[in-house]
Amino acid sequence: MTKIWQFALFLWLTVVIILAFLWAPLAEGLGEYTRIIYFHVPAAWLTVLSFLLGAIYSIIYIKKREIKFDLYAESASQIGLVFCLLATVTGSIWAKVSWGSFWNWDPRETSIFILLLIYAAYFALRSAIEQEERKAALAAVYSLFAFVSVPFFVFIVPRIYSSLHPDPIVNPEGRINMDSKMLTTFISSLFGFTLFFIWIFKRKIDLIGLKLNLKKMEL
Amino acid sequence: MGPIYIVLIIIIIIWAGIFGYMLHLDKEIKKLRKHFDQVKKKGRN
Repeated sequence: MTKIWQFALFLWLTVVIILAFLWAPLAEGLGEYTRIIYFHVPAAWLTVLSFLLGAIYSIIYIKKREIKFDLYAESASQIGLVFCLLATVTGSIWAKVSWGSFWNWDPRETSIFILLLIYAAYFALRSAIEQEERKAALAAVYSLFAFVSVPFFVFIVPRIYSSLHPDPIVNPEGRINMDSKMLTTFISSLFGFTLFFIWIFKRKIDLIGLKLNLKKMEL
Repeated sequence: MGPIYIVLIIIIIIWAGIFGYMLHLDKEIKKLRKHFDQVKKKGRN
């Protein structure tokens, strides 16, 4: 990413933050805490995107058996876990305001907690195996199984059991029930956060490239 | 100044900090890459 793009992204997300605080109207019943939506939902979206990338790179690793793809999958899952934690924390703040306590074991909260445990186990598995090839192969297979649970825990479980969590942005009727100013801020936030994710992931890939080249030289 | 402005300023400062750190990382990676290329060249010679 060139310098111009980086500064454009900085300006974009700064404007999004200002819009979220000063321009977008508040939702009924949530008051000032409505603003969390512009940070909570993008964090949840990037969690799914990162874990998806992790699974895709795991498939590529299983097919090609090149260690770099395993490292890409690991990086994507690391970023995913960080965003998953952010989504949990911001969601918990929201829960305190609308439900009265930070943690209620609501289906949505329980499912994200299990997802956190599943991906924490992925890293525990990686750190438990020393042999590189074996670690990569087992982690790739585990990552695939872990990702199968993502749509189940993020999209299905909260819809099966009655949850206090607000309707998803696109509701069951396939409509978006949001004020136009809120929607503009929300889409801009999603776009900005996605670009930010691409930047972080690209840097991770650069670092992996350097690390692998260094290893080659040492050999 | 209302509390909303204080929260806004704190969030912008945090975002600027994260952005500054990312730029710093970019610089470090560039330096490492340069250093790596130099070592590679020396190795060839």
